[in-house]
Amino acid sequence: MSDHSTDASTPSASQVSAGLRVPDISRRRMLQLGALGIGAFASAPLLAACGSSSDTSTGTSSGASSGAAKKGGDLVLVRDHDAVNMDKTMVFSNASIWTYAQIYEPLVAMTEDGLGVRPWLAESYEMSPDNQSCTLKLRKGVKFHNGQPMTSADVKFSIDESSKTKGGWEFINSAIKEVTTPDDYTVVVTTKYPWAPLLADLSCPNNGIIPKDYAGKTKDEFYAAPIGTGPFVWGTWQKGSALTLKKNPSYWQSGKPYLDSVTWKVVADSNARAIQLQGGQAHINESPPFSSLAQLKNTPNVKVDLFPSTRTDYIMMNQHKKPYDDVHVRRAISYAIDREALVKTILFGNGTPANSFLMPSTPFYDKNCPGIQYDMNKAREELRQSSVPNGFTTTWLAMSGDAVDAAIAQVLQASLKELGITLNIQNVDPSAQHDMTGKLDYEIAHSYWTMDLADPDELAQFALDPTSGGHSFDTGFDDPSIIDLVHQAQKEFDKTKRQALYSEIQAKAAESAFLAFLFYTPFPYATASTVKGFKVLPTGSYHMEDVSL
Amino acid sequence: MRYLVYVLKRVVSLIPVLLGISFIVFFLIRLIPGDPAATLLGVHATPEAIKELRDQMGLEKPLLSQYLTFLGHLLQGNLGYSYVYSSSVLELITTSLPVTIWLLVSGTFFTLLIAVPLAVLAAARRNGVADNIIRAVPVVGLGLPAFLLGIVLILVFGLKLGWFPVGGYGLSLAEHLRGIVLPGVTVALTLAPIVIRSLRASMIEVLSSDYIVTAHSKGISTARVVLGHALRNAAVSSVTVLGVNIAYLTGSTLVVERVFSLPGIGQQMINSIFGRDFPTVQGITLVFAIMVVVVNLLTDVAHSALDPRVQLT
Repeated sequence: MSDHSTDASTPSASQVSAGLRVPDISRRRMLQLGALGIGAFASAPLLAACGSSSDTSTGTSSGASSGAAKKGGDLVLVRDHDAVNMDKTMVFSNASIWTYAQIYEPLVAMTEDGLGVRPWLAESYEMSPDNQSCTLKLRKGVKFHNGQPMTSADVKFSIDESSKTKGGWEFINSAIKEVTTPDDYTVVVTTKYPWAPLLADLSCPNNGIIPKDYAGKTKDEFYAAPIGTGPFVWGTWQKGSALTLKKNPSYWQSGKPYLDSVTWKVVADSNARAIQLQGGQAHINESPPFSSLAQLKNTPNVKVDLFPSTRTDYIMMNQHKKPYDDVHVRRAISYAIDREALVKTILFGNGTPANSFLMPSTPFYDKNCPGIQYDMNKAREELRQSSVPNGFTTTWLAMSGDAVDAAIAQVLQASLKELGITLNIQNVDPSAQHDMTGKLDYEIAHSYWTMDLADPDELAQFALDPTSGGHSFDTGFDDPSIIDLVHQAQKEFDKTKRQALYSEIQAKAAESAFLAFLFYTPFPYATASTVKGFKVLPTGSYHMEDVSL
Repeated sequence: MRYLVYVLKRVVSLIPVLLGISFIVFFLIRLIPGDPAATLLGVHATPEAIKELRDQMGLEKPLLSQYLTFLGHLLQGNLGYSYVYSSSVLELITTSLPVTIWLLVSGTFFTLLIAVPLAVLAAARRNGVADNIIRAVPVVGLGLPAFLLGIVLILVFGLKLGWFPVGGYGLSLAEHLRGIVLPGVTVALTLAPIVIRSLRASMIEVLSSDYIVTAHSKGISTARVVLGHALRNAAVSSVTVLGVNIAYLTGSTLVVERVFSLPGIGQQMINSIFGRDFPTVQGITLVFAIMVVVVNLLTDVAHSALDPRVQLT
């Protein structure tokens, strides 16, 4: 769910994020806000003046470290909006989560490919034969930043707090019945029913481990200067400007972290971020616009990485408004989208057309899912069979200042015209767009998603199962046969059977065209060539303990 | 003493202005679509979760009672608590306001540094080559948007020459001083042309007045006539022009703040609007209003100091 925030001129600014620097709305959506609008001025070509030719590296993934990592150094990362809060049970902003993930750690962590989990604060874990409880053995010798050892009581407190905090991430823990602590280093998590996503849920940031009873502080005091077991300890925060974390000298992974400190600086303008990286005032540029990547690749001592992400862009069609209750209308529109053209114009070729509502870096994604691809003949045929064979007029609820949204609307407008469908564009600001789509007060609009954990259920539930409390990705889609499949997949522990279920779900979801799947987007990062070991997970988070200068 | 009474009067007259502004802002920000709770909770939020948070924020109460609560807090000097950041609005403002004030001060300083010598030179060499150049070239600054001008300055003086940081505000006073130069010059380059034109015109008028002719005929040096006698009189009207423009600038420093990554109050304002952070928007608007009034007040006081005929009443 999260959103990867970025500048308005980049694709990711689209739906979700916001934070604008502001508020990150949801992790996903909010961020976007932040970035939004204003930055639209200033564009990459200006930078051309400074970049000179070619002695640069450009890689496409990884940031593998070579040789022994050097100790020391103060890393500066520039991003387009600030974190908002360190409360892991409530905050949805990616900027906040990626920061606090260096302070609190989960029992199990997502693997680098995003397809599973690996032991972290728990050394091992085992499901019971009835698949209704999981026994985790805690790593010994792990200490919180205040020196107190981490025990099972802390784990129980951390998970229970998130389960009972309303209006936050408690939905992730909705299947958990109870957490028990047979001894100081054993934790048993019992679920209400067999729950296949359990381990992935435990890796979700809301289940990071903090000391029991907030180490004697009130909740507000604790989150104002939080402690955890992570590689970095709380430093200073000038809100809206910079947040600094310092090295944890007694981190449980001996020898790490390498850096003395990490500072996230807020630099709203994408050109300013690029210039700061080039001028040596920053080491990592969190979200360069895709339009600027070619230029950045030609900048000396700067390297551009495209990390596989779970970000997927969609078009939402509100089935509570006619004619979108008609599957043929939705399919016609989905066929009329030239996804290759969108990837070229919006991502400058740095992405791939989507074939499923799930993304390749999520477990159980089916690459053979046919999806619906661009085909104007089929679009015409579908529309002929629909309730509005001669076309209709509809309104696209656009997020103002969002270049991705605008580009999608324009490409779509042109193809729909051929079908006799008139697409009017109504611009509102991101917060309003979010509010209106959430209340199903729109006809057609753009949105996107990024995952928070290594299991498709988080998205399957949100997008396809209105019984979980939402509106099926704000579309009003409600298909009992698909809901049933989603519930079956939640309880299925056999991987082959679970794959079969998710393949069926993906095929049926594609056929129903409840969303039009657009494209998969990588996470772009520009880093100084001195930065070693920096890798971004498909959720957007990263492990700063592996990074050196 | 006369300044003190005047200032007190102006401060008192500020109260109804602020009340009016608080009223307008309070209701205006709530009229635009978009909900703070939905914005904070993001796409995953269920309608129940949104309602729960709105309850906690006090948004479910009648508007009028919300406004009265806000006013009540305001009277106690409490601007409220930000919906987005876990901190008070006052804390957010006290962090970002000094940056913007620095920017305005530095902008004014560089404007005077650029405008006064050029205007004096142009007026003294009226219709000469220097005058024509001075009248034509600075107009370019008027036409160039601040984000372009700013980036050009950063590229040249930050990146190529390395004299100034390419952005940011730093932590120490020395870093603040270094960091504020280019933004200040950016502001000055857009402000100076206006001041130059106004000051040049009044200088020309003053230079042709009788007492200047008398001064010349008494044998006083041209430099002293121009700088000592003419400039002070000519400056009176330009101070007003400068004041009005700085007051205007107060609400529009955002672009400069953004280009130079200055964590100022303009940036904070935009963030708050996008986040529907009502308390912060209200607080910052009041601060803007106070700043405009203060700049106008300073302008009037300066006006009076330069021209004793102007009575502050």
